[in-house]
Amino acid sequence: MPMNAAAAAPSSGGDPAAGSVLLRMEGITKAFPGVVANDKISLELRAGEVLALVGENGAGKSTLMKILYGLYRPDSGEILVRDRTTRIAGPRDAISQGIGMVHQHFMLIPPFTVLENIVLGSETSRLGVLSYAKPRAAAAKLIELNNLHIDLGASVEHLPVGLQQQVEILKILYRGAEILIFDEPTAVLTPQESDELFKTFRQMRAQGKGIIFISHKLDEVLDIADRITVIRRGKVIRTLDRAEATKPLIAELMVGKPVILNVDNPRLPPGPAVLEVDKLGFVNAEGVAALRDVSFRVRSGEIYGIAGVEGNGQSELIRAIAYRTRISGGSVRLLGADLSGLDVRSRRELGLAHIPEDRHKFGLLLSFSLADNFILGSHYKKPFVSVLRTQVRRQIAENARRLIAQFDVRAPSEQTPAHALSGGNQQKVIIAREMSAKPRLLLANQPTRGVDVGATEFIYKQLVEAKKNGAAVLLVSADLDEVMSLSDRIGVMFKGSIIKEFERESATKEEVGFYMMGEKAR
Amino acid sequence: MHWGTLFDYICKGLDTSAPLAFAALGGVFSEKSGVVNIALEGGMLFSAFSIVWGSIIFHSLWLGLLFAVVIGMAFAAIHAVVTITYKVNQIISGVALNILAEGIARFLSQNIFGQETQSAMNPYSFPSYRGMNVFSLVVIPVAILSWFVLNKTVFGLRLRSVGENPEAADTLGINVTLMRYSGVLISGAMCGLSAAVLYPSRWVSGMTGGRGFIALAAMIFGRWSPIGAVLASLLFGYADAARISFASSIQIPSQFVQMFPYVLAVVVLAGVVGRSRAPAADGVPYEKGED
Repeated sequence: MPMNAAAAAPSSGGDPAAGSVLLRMEGITKAFPGVVANDKISLELRAGEVLALVGENGAGKSTLMKILYGLYRPDSGEILVRDRTTRIAGPRDAISQGIGMVHQHFMLIPPFTVLENIVLGSETSRLGVLSYAKPRAAAAKLIELNNLHIDLGASVEHLPVGLQQQVEILKILYRGAEILIFDEPTAVLTPQESDELFKTFRQMRAQGKGIIFISHKLDEVLDIADRITVIRRGKVIRTLDRAEATKPLIAELMVGKPVILNVDNPRLPPGPAVLEVDKLGFVNAEGVAALRDVSFRVRSGEIYGIAGVEGNGQSELIRAIAYRTRISGGSVRLLGADLSGLDVRSRRELGLAHIPEDRHKFGLLLSFSLADNFILGSHYKKPFVSVLRTQVRRQIAENARRLIAQFDVRAPSEQTPAHALSGGNQQKVIIAREMSAKPRLLLANQPTRGVDVGATEFIYKQLVEAKKNGAAVLLVSADLDEVMSLSDRIGVMFKGSIIKEFERESATKEEVGFYMMGEKAR
Repeated sequence: MHWGTLFDYICKGLDTSAPLAFAALGGVFSEKSGVVNIALEGGMLFSAFSIVWGSIIFHSLWLGLLFAVVIGMAFAAIHAVVTITYKVNQIISGVALNILAEGIARFLSQNIFGQETQSAMNPYSFPSYRGMNVFSLVVIPVAILSWFVLNKTVFGLRLRSVGENPEAADTLGINVTLMRYSGVLISGAMCGLSAAVLYPSRWVSGMTGGRGFIALAAMIFGRWSPIGAVLASLLFGYADAARISFASSIQIPSQFVQMFPYVLAVVVLAGVVGRSRAPAADGVPYEKGED
């Protein structure tokens, strides 16, 4: 069937931009212990097109791309670059075949300059001594050609995420890549930065390059892709032309059943204020005022969304609410009680629950079982506390089984270590734990980051459920669509302040986006 | 103080600084590539034995030095194989090698020179000037060369990249293993050079007296840069020279005076260094993605 999809595509589209075939992957199979990550996958990429690769987490997209880039070796199958069978044993082979990849986690050397990062591995030198004159000129030309905006002399660690990504793009263009792979490139970008990236895509497409674009955001896929290949459980389900693709159709092909993408999120009459943040200030370790005069309140029965480019104080704000933090001014009150000086346990006793931004660092003990992860935070309370663990083992296991069933966590057993789960299921474990505490205030920081469509739908439902149960929900997300569709009110953070508040009804994506860039504040 | 005494002190200070400086430069190469090498101490000690042994075997100090450098590299190669290829914890490997160095040197000394705790006298020596081994001056060009190699060459760029983000380097086709081996082997060679300025006349058990660790402190204080590491070595070396030169003239119990360089190392590391930053992947074995 994958063969049909690949073969049918050329005749059906008639896209004027479509050119010769750059790349063909045929019957790629790759098994890991216990799973077949890629099961006879075939796909085709033509010059001058953007091919979107979509599928749930763990569907096998990243594995396939890692095979193409030589990081994994396939068990069987063939890769043809410009109709010639190629063996790609490592990144060096991939680069020499004109294949470049922008990884989900940037592959940059932070203390190096932009130019050093660009030349690394493909240096120009005389007798082993680096020479930068030619690379600098070549890179400057590429910057101009591809709608990029980078200072070659800047050190990468000081660049914002959007620019770091441009460095990655430059790196692969500098190596002469014709086939460019982007693994969830927009996950970390603002809408404006994403637009810039797509401009670059269009420019590269016009130059006849082939782009493979992995994304969870279906709106973007429909915006930029010429063809869309859907993968589910290691198999190509179908390749769609842009003309025949719709959002519900793609989502259904990905998940295998119809998906409701719009959450039923009614506006409820607001209750009393639960969280009151008043003129909050915070100075970080570098002496920079990360929060200045932040004031807002979140009421019972509402979701308050914080929109903003990452790094504008959102993390610090959550920290000041969730943890004991040395604030430089103002106050945070939960149900009327001043939180200053209270440790995390006292805050949780007051009704605070927290879905942290980085689930690996702060949300889970990865090497612990699910059962143990479920009782974190209530481990000192009945019925989980005892002198010997054997006395409460049964209660802990029962609690875990109940939550696994209730929150639809896909795991072999409650004794499975947390690291063995996919990102979406790990997130469900955290949400199950936090929701089962019946919170009065729920902090949800990037709750769907790196989570697939199916799990996202579930998480959205849970947030709305919390609100219906009378909790106040503070949502922080870099995904503006998410903030817009879930929030009753929206606050835009820029440089440590909330510079604008919107009611749900009066907010438009463009306007919120402009405030996120600080445009209106000037 | 007379000018002559001051000049003596300057020369003496260079003499005590040079072994630290060579070892610290070795540390820079190893750690910039991402491998913590606390076996500098053992490497220095074993090289110190090798230069005496080699000089006597080959009837030449220069061949003895070459021998010490080769042995220093061979010794470091053990650390490289264990920590890079087999991914053993780098601190544990270093501790084991420090113990091993002392043991092997004693064993060889017993068998070759008939005494366990010291070797025979080495009849060959570098010329000295006002109490300074003139080979100490070699540290200056070596430091400059190290700076040049690390910052201006393809090799240096790649070496530093694997110490910061080996995964990124790997995706660019850089051989992480090769680069890390190079860094560790260069640190071994530097231990060999340090033997030339430590005390090439005779090997004595325990003669390094923690200088390998002081060199590590100098490397950190020097912020992992070759020039910084050498300047920091001068600070520690001159502190040591002050101890030697002035201990007899000050009315303080000698134990306290002898503590001085070590206390200085602790104070400097605890206080001043707070903000200096190690290479991001320093001490972290590199595992390729596929498993």
